Amino acid sequence: MTMSDMTAQRHERRQLWVDRSERIGLIVAWLVVIAAFGIARPGPFLSWANFSTIFGSQAVLVVLTLGLIIPLTSGDFDLSIAGNLTLSAMTIAVLNVYLKLPISFAILAALGVGCLIGAINAVVVLFFRINSLIVTLGMGTFIHGVTLWISNSNTISGVDFALPTAVIVTRLFGIPLAFYYALLVAALIWYVFTFTSAGQQLLFVGRGREVARLSGIRVDRVRAATFLVSGLLGGLAGVLYTGTTGSADPSSGLSYLLPAFAAAFLGATSITPGRFNPIGSVIAVYFLVTGISGLSILGISTFVQDLFYGGALVVAVALSQIVRGRQERTS
Amino acid sequence: MKHGWKLVGLAAAMSVFGLAGAAAAQDNGVGAAKADIAKYSKIPAFIAAGAPFDAKACMHGKSIMSLPANSSVPFLSTIDAAMTKVAGMVGFDFKVWENQGQVSQWVQGMDFAANNHYSLVDLLAGTDPRALGPQIKAANDAGTTVTGSHVTGYGQPIPIAGVTPIPIDYKEAGKLIAEWPIVKTGGKVNAIVLVTSEVLSTDPMIEGIKEAFASCPDCKFKVIDVSLTDWATKIQPSVQSAVIADPTVNYIIPIYDSMSQFVVPALQITGASDHVKISTFNGTPFVIDMVRNGQVEMDVGENLDWIAYGLLDAQMRKLCGFEAVTDPKIPLMVFDAGNAATAGVPAEASRGFGDAYIKGFKALWKL
Repeated sequence: MTMSDMTAQRHERRQLWVDRSERIGLIVAWLVVIAAFGIARPGPFLSWANFSTIFGSQAVLVVLTLGLIIPLTSGDFDLSIAGNLTLSAMTIAVLNVYLKLPISFAILAALGVGCLIGAINAVVVLFFRINSLIVTLGMGTFIHGVTLWISNSNTISGVDFALPTAVIVTRLFGIPLAFYYALLVAALIWYVFTFTSAGQQLLFVGRGREVARLSGIRVDRVRAATFLVSGLLGGLAGVLYTGTTGSADPSSGLSYLLPAFAAAFLGATSITPGRFNPIGSVIAVYFLVTGISGLSILGISTFVQDLFYGGALVVAVALSQIVRGRQERTS
Repeated sequence: MKHGWKLVGLAAAMSVFGLAGAAAAQDNGVGAAKADIAKYSKIPAFIAAGAPFDAKACMHGKSIMSLPANSSVPFLSTIDAAMTKVAGMVGFDFKVWENQGQVSQWVQGMDFAANNHYSLVDLLAGTDPRALGPQIKAANDAGTTVTGSHVTGYGQPIPIAGVTPIPIDYKEAGKLIAEWPIVKTGGKVNAIVLVTSEVLSTDPMIEGIKEAFASCPDCKFKVIDVSLTDWATKIQPSVQSAVIADPTVNYIIPIYDSMSQFVVPALQITGASDHVKISTFNGTPFVIDMVRNGQVEMDVGENLDWIAYGLLDAQMRKLCGFEAVTDPKIPLMVFDAGNAATAGVPAEASRGFGDAYIKGFKALWKL
């Protein structure tokens, strides 16, 4: 074995180590956060009640984040997804509470509304060749207007209790069912991304539309599908939101947009670094929520939550970039 | 000898007050809280804020413009609709500057009022006077009176010159939402109080809460401050963590009742709904529905129609040169499981308060 062979081997080992540590970096950071708060307040923080609450209360954010990463993977944005959530939630409340229609019908209608929004986004973006950022920004504002209109700007409570029962009241291993619904959606997306040709096509389109088109992929069809799925997941997030609060209000759902983007970008730094991926997104949501719950248990003011949210995102992405930069320099 | 009797009298008085104080301490403030709750559980009576006057004659040729904080908030649109109706009844020009809560729209509204020589422009329930300093000065210079309604408590100044406050008894509302758990727990409250400190009315409400708990030595509370824009994302996790961190918490006191929609799921997820109750303020219809359904234990409400009459009464008095109204006599009322249905099923704004005030105001204004 020559000197250069040994150097190459060392270099390869080092690269492998860097690659592995980047994949699991967020999980390690999550464990560190748990350990830190566990030491600070072991009683309440390390209790099963706390973890079941952390897992059970963030299904809406998880599903919304998963809805975002699908168009993001193909290089598109869906800024209308939070408006979609709000309109879908309000659709359920109006149909079920005001019009006395069965909750099952109201849920299907909400999912239909989500798909319709996705379809309109797809048509406008692809037919008129307009940047998705602009179209979905406009669509989000438009559907917020529709939500205010159909609700008469009111919060509507009193949704059939069967929905909260199916979302947060019923528990498995002490954790509300909402958590398992969100995991199911994440597993499904992971399967599609990893093991199907549709998932591979989506990746190609995201990496380079022209190359994908020349490779025979029907780029427009793939992009349209991402908007539809994103719309459907926005609708599902609306169903879970209504199931969580037992009500719908015309604007609160909009505030989920930035946390969902934060989780999507943070998730892209782990598991499959550099790619939006469902497992990373789920871990990112729970990493952020664990930190915030810990801060709340310590009794720290809520503005610190913003410091944690924003700080964690910037630090994680910066670290990821440093590692990537080193990899590029060493390769 | 005279001094001797004085000393005996003083000692007697001191022992009486001492006993009274000891009694108050012994019952943890429950007696006084019970009396207050009972006082506000009845249909309120109409009390005039000043002497009768001929509203039609004095408002002739005058005009008022309402600039609500956000026209899409039902609380505000309901008050504005009622004010429009009342102004029509009295017979003067009344305009609502519709907006979606953006400061640029408020600026535009203020400019419109000054340029069109409205007699009075009212910053209604949250239109922040601190964001409109130059416009308020310009309106005053143009001869337009500026009032700030339903934004400050009694005696609380508006922190900018040129605005006459028309206050609401926020302190009493704060006191009531703290007194309810004192009564219910027999003076053993451990509460989480949810506040939004950037809203002007929060200060007098916290003052009222502190006053109520000051007379209850075995009560304690912790304040969590959540910004208005963060209600949907921060109230639920904050309440969840607070309840887990301290399992002896027995009440959540959201000072504005729309916060309750995020507190209810937090209690359900943490499994605390059966032993942690909610006491709140505003009387928003969907929260009164939650009271009726058992998700919220008590909501102190205001009659939005009564607010419209009361605010216009104060504004007309200001324009007609009467003494400024420092208490528009807009009452509060306690809604619990026993009377929530009187607000309607589903609940409607302004129902459940009786209608004596309508006759009262008509007589007061000589209509």
